[in-house]
Amino acid sequence: MLRLYRSLLYLYPPIFRRQFGTEMLAVFRGVQAETTEHGIIPQGVLYVRETAGLLVGALQEHLRAVGAVRAFLPSPTRRFAMHAEFRFPKITAVLMTLILGGIILAIEKARMIQASYSQGAPLVPLETARLTFFPTVALLLVIFYAAGLVGWAVLFALRRTGVHRLADMSAQQK
Amino acid sequence: METLPLTETVLFILLSLSGQPRHGYSILKDVEKMSDGRVVLSTGTLYGALRRLLDDDWIERFEEQDTSRGRQAYRLTPQGRQNLQLEVSRMKHLTRLATLRAAKQEV
Repeated sequence: MLRLYRSLLYLYPPIFRRQFGTEMLAVFRGVQAETTEHGIIPQGVLYVRETAGLLVGALQEHLRAVGAVRAFLPSPTRRFAMHAEFRFPKITAVLMTLILGGIILAIEKARMIQASYSQGAPLVPLETARLTFFPTVALLLVIFYAAGLVGWAVLFALRRTGVHRLADMSAQQK
Repeated sequence: METLPLTETVLFILLSLSGQPRHGYSILKDVEKMSDGRVVLSTGTLYGALRRLLDDDWIERFEEQDTSRGRQAYRLTPQGRQNLQLEVSRMKHLTRLATLRAAKQEV
């Protein structure tokens, strides 16, 4: 679980991870050690709670980072360069893609089983399943990345309007 | 940014820090104890809230000197304490009002 916890921490923006990662891991270790004494069910509850907390927390931190217009303030050395701490880490994109792929795979599998057994129909041939599965995954990934692209485009357009100059300069200098 | 009224999580964290500075694990346990086990924070929720409170200067972070491990601990700032008092006053007022209204209805 500790390995999973450490991996999930990579979903957070780098600045958050640098600031709190080690501490969060230490606190989790403490809670885990304490829960181990109480049996399997409390451990299961802990793992579910922690996983959900990390997923939601990471999403909130990314939304905050994207929503913060100050992220697009020009750097003193390079115009249009985004601050390093707000860069979308590659590992996050890879993990999100894997999670999305896993969810789609599970849904598709469940749909196949349901369709086969509920109507007494013969099992869906593997070739047919492949034919429907891969285009679905590809389409969803295209939609996913297109939505991301639109989001970045909107933020970029906002930056060009100069609205970013209204951001809190004192916080930027901290 | 934290605004009044506070969420239950933030209120419990501030209450936990109002008595003494604490580190993350200690805050988790204290919140659980204060709420009689009703509020059990995950580390993700706790550190998300701590980050917001640090950004708003309601709490500050410092390294504990009296431990060998040099753990990071958190304490309320004067602004944080003032906001906590404001929230407590708001809740007191609300409770008084609710008690009065409920009593009137019973009569």
